[in-house]
Amino acid sequence: MPTTSTQPVVKRVLIDMDRCIECRSCAAACYYSHADMPAVDFARSGVAMLPVICRQCKSAPCVDACPAEAMVRDESGVARRLLFRCIGCGSCARACPFGVISTKLSGVSAWVKSPDRISGHQVAKCDLCADRTETDSEAVPRCVAACPSGALMFADEHEAEKLGVEVYGGRTSGQHPYKRR
Amino acid sequence: MAATVETTASTKTASRCTLCPAGCQLQPTAAGPDAWRVEYPAAESAGLCPRGSTLGELLGHRRRILLPGQRVGGQLRQVGQAAAVKEIVNAAAGKGLTILLAGNLPSEQIAAVAETCRAWPEANLSIVIEPAEQQMLLGLEASGAKYLTDAELAQCDGFVIIGDAFAANPRCSRAILDCRKTNPRTPIVVIDSASGLASKFATHRLSPPAGMELQALAALVSAAGIETDESSDRFDRASAASAGAAIAGCKRLGVLLAAQYGRSNAWQSIGRLAGRLANARPGGVAPQTDSANTLVAVRLAAKYQTIPLAKALADTSTVRIALGCDVLGMLGLDDNDFFAAAAPLPNRTTDAARVVLPMAMACELGGTHMFAGEQACCVAPLLPGPLGVLSPAELVGELAKAAGAAVPAVPAGDSPLKRVDSADLKAAAPLAEASGLTLLLGRQTWHAGCGELTAWGSWQAAQELPELRLSPAEAQKIGVENLATVTVEVSSSQAGRSLQARVRLDPTLSPGIAVLPEACAAARALNPSEINGQAGTVTAVPVGVSVSH
Repeated sequence: MPTTSTQPVVKRVLIDMDRCIECRSCAAACYYSHADMPAVDFARSGVAMLPVICRQCKSAPCVDACPAEAMVRDESGVARRLLFRCIGCGSCARACPFGVISTKLSGVSAWVKSPDRISGHQVAKCDLCADRTETDSEAVPRCVAACPSGALMFADEHEAEKLGVEVYGGRTSGQHPYKRR
Repeated sequence: MAATVETTASTKTASRCTLCPAGCQLQPTAAGPDAWRVEYPAAESAGLCPRGSTLGELLGHRRRILLPGQRVGGQLRQVGQAAAVKEIVNAAAGKGLTILLAGNLPSEQIAAVAETCRAWPEANLSIVIEPAEQQMLLGLEASGAKYLTDAELAQCDGFVIIGDAFAANPRCSRAILDCRKTNPRTPIVVIDSASGLASKFATHRLSPPAGMELQALAALVSAAGIETDESSDRFDRASAASAGAAIAGCKRLGVLLAAQYGRSNAWQSIGRLAGRLANARPGGVAPQTDSANTLVAVRLAAKYQTIPLAKALADTSTVRIALGCDVLGMLGLDDNDFFAAAAPLPNRTTDAARVVLPMAMACELGGTHMFAGEQACCVAPLLPGPLGVLSPAELVGELAKAAGAAVPAVPAGDSPLKRVDSADLKAAAPLAEASGLTLLLGRQTWHAGCGELTAWGSWQAAQELPELRLSPAEAQKIGVENLATVTVEVSSSQAGRSLQARVRLDPTLSPGIAVLPEACAAARALNPSEINGQAGTVTAVPVGVSVSH
């Protein structure tokens, strides 16, 4: 059983909407780095098209909704999926209020066969590139590293405000209707 | 050319992406047996657009051409390298050989092929550069404007962007957005009839009718108080007045240009005028080309006096071989007799050629590239090419040897390349006023060129139908809704050519304009280039189309 935390991760991926040029570098970086399971989507709102990336909710509905305890908050506070527990039921995708867990993200299927070929399909979930960020405190997720215009930042809200970026759109903090435990 | 080997802090050698002048860092990483991907630098603000991200996967792509083939009865049959070379040499005996070499290769490769062709009387060389980009660069060279680095671009206090420079090189946006953050009043004038990514950030947007970019630029230059002999009669000067006033006070102006296929026949004049504008407000220019080495290719073509692409394509008396470039896809042509084609992955030219040869990708060839601001840099190969797959210089060397010609040694340290200063300005014929819906092609950040390489990326391939951008008013007039699947058909002399696309409504687009992706070879085929061998021109101008369900 992995170590889990009740505290959400402090740093997350924030988008400076004044700088996003809609180049989709973040989506491509995510796709090519995570064995074709992208976790970055795009939403079009009027003229603008912006990346939609997991907000690492304070009270994560995906964690609450998972019947197999495959979606957990790990010791560093990141809401992530445990690959070999996932039964591919899609509960997390239905629970996510922001639509960042889905069977199709930015035109690409994010619903793939599990590596063991037994437990069925799995849905991609952003883990903030834990393979990089867990071992190197200075490292940033790949979508942030790939962003050519400087629109994506890996920061906490206070750091973002120091950079003159006003943070809108929080993350869920109350009890979600899907909460089961 | 000065060469410095770039290395990371660790002992690993980092390569750089050469698909645009930004030169983003690349680090190959194993992603499974015979599978690769690129790893992103750990630090923030590194940047790598989808084109660069795709390169890792392409190294071990399952459709990679690894063995030569010969087309017999429409079927490609494997043959040995020696047999393929012999076939080409035999076909060229008595006729001569025209080599069309990709211009996105390291300088050493281009120079080596040029030297071999110089010593081989039967061979002609044409360096293949996107015609619009070549004309734009010739105009810039003639203007004497300074080429800006990203750091110098960040010191500018005003910007003029012609075409969708942000899509051509997403990283160049950072300097402009940094300036805008520091001073929100920084003027950003965008001239783009297809309202690309850069238009979203414009303080002054000039959306000229299709094919009228030069007139819009001339109006802007006049409004900024700079004398020009270019006519702006056919452009609404009032809309350029406020933009001209905004840049008139700039102390250092950055002019970014992205020449686009099928947009205009006056790129040389645009380049020259843009250079004059940059010179008048002591700044510089930043051309955003399809590869890092396009400017070098233009200079090497002038140095070695290679034959123009138009002449190479119009002359059917010699045997033609395309090396590393998809000439047919780039020019939207269906058929132009190519005896042989060498490429890393299948493309329209290899599909039409009788002999197909494997070739190393540009990222597998170490050598000198010139990044933004004429910065020459020796780039390490991302990975060595597959065993037995030759570089263009090696392949041409083999062909020359088989034909009995001498293969000269290329001097190791080449002298710096001079600007092309004697470009004769070719006045473009005025375009007819388009009526109805006009097709323009727009750049995408996830494809390079006509997509001959990047279209093989699995992420790119998973994207649905090509997007057809329409203004909401135009869509309503046609009777199509957002996300509808439609057929785009050419309504002029090329009637009968059509393409399926998915509608995306774009409120920033002017009515009367439809935009398809430039990197889609099928979209270019709707507007094929016109080749004039005598005049030495290859041009594609906007065409009329109809859209139906």
